[in-house]
Amino acid sequence: MEAVLLNYITQLTHEQLDTPLTVDDDLLGSGILDSIGMMKLVSFIETELSMVIPPEDILIENFMTVKHIITYLKTT
Amino acid sequence: MDFSWSTTQLAYKAKIISFAEANFSESFIKEDQEATFTRANWEKCAAFGLLGLSTTTAYGGATDKVDILTSTIAMEGLGYACKDNGLPFALNAQMWTVQYPILEFGSEAQKKKYLPKMCSGEWIGCHGLTEPNAGSDVFSMEMTATKVNGGYLLNGTKQHITMAPVADVFLIFAKTNPKLGAWGISVFIVDKNTKGLTIGKNRPKMGLRTVPFGNLTFKDCFIADTNRLGKEGAGWAITNSSLEYDRCTILAGQLGAMEKQLEDTIAFVKNRKQYNKPISQFQAISHRVADMRLRLETSRLLLQKVAWLKSEGKPATLESAMLKLQLSESFVASSLDAIRCNGGRGYITEHGVERDLRDAVGSIIYAGTSDIQKNIIAKLLGL
Repeated sequence: MEAVLLNYITQLTHEQLDTPLTVDDDLLGSGILDSIGMMKLVSFIETELSMVIPPEDILIENFMTVKHIITYLKTT
Repeated sequence: MDFSWSTTQLAYKAKIISFAEANFSESFIKEDQEATFTRANWEKCAAFGLLGLSTTTAYGGATDKVDILTSTIAMEGLGYACKDNGLPFALNAQMWTVQYPILEFGSEAQKKKYLPKMCSGEWIGCHGLTEPNAGSDVFSMEMTATKVNGGYLLNGTKQHITMAPVADVFLIFAKTNPKLGAWGISVFIVDKNTKGLTIGKNRPKMGLRTVPFGNLTFKDCFIADTNRLGKEGAGWAITNSSLEYDRCTILAGQLGAMEKQLEDTIAFVKNRKQYNKPISQFQAISHRVADMRLRLETSRLLLQKVAWLKSEGKPATLESAMLKLQLSESFVASSLDAIRCNGGRGYITEHGVERDLRDAVGSIIYAGTSDIQKNIIAKLLGL
């Protein structure tokens, strides 16, 4: 799951990151993901990983980094 | 692929058209000119059950599960038969940007307190997001909610808020953690008589004049923890959760108005004679009407696709941006064509043709301008 998410988010940024994305990079605060990027990521997780993300769970505490996302997805 | 409606849905649309023709077929010219909101009409819609479409029966709503397809066709019917374009707009603004977020994110106590009274028309709700310095870039808002013992202190100003001057309940977005940008925004349910809240007067505008717009000012306005909607930082999710439902239904009302506009235009050009023949026989006229029909059909197809995607629980970010862009711009273009087809008659207020154009212009601005929709489409195409 980690590699899949890192790869997809890197694609979303059009590979314009200065350094390879890591699981600890701040996706939201650093602007790696904007609003539309976030919508695409949620859609990707629901479609490709067959998981349902309730709107009330779309919070920074669940999506700040890839590590946060993985932790959140494991608890759902 | 099947975009057909069920017999139940079509029967419901027919029932709404009959209801609207019986109650809202007057001209509304006086209300439009004087920028008057008619609460009695709002209450008629509530009594008919329209305000329950975005809420479940447990909280005074219409059905056990919110049905976006039925809601969409219902609003198409209302838009078709109601001479006041503002009424469907205002109803949908409450239903999808106030009631639906409370239904989705609210505590049991919040749902029980607010939803039945909004469904019944006793209370009117409005959605406070836009600010003087935060329009398209809405998440750069300046309004703050500072944590204090037992709640929050709200400070700031909201601008151009639909129904604010007549509302009883206000869904207010404010920063609880300014460092987090869009992810530090929370939502609060504010009651009308809360100390520190000042409700501005109606600000008359170009179109949709029967819908009051106003400003809201908050000065050390204390809101209890129990009136925060959802978790801290849920503002972005709350906005996005209802956005596509809001798009479908508000635009469905406009689609209904476009259908009626086309029918009226066809009837007029077939009857109006110049140079000893109906003006419909001049291609300058008939081509305009053909363009109006094409805009209606393309808008309808996009609307039905978005409503269908949402009914299937699927994302529709790209499709809803295209829908908003296409339908709102089409309504403007077709309204201008309707005036051209009507000639001088279309320019005179008493005939009820020119109002559509004034009402339509609002739709290319509110809830994401046409330029913002193009930005979204381009971004989703990887540009």
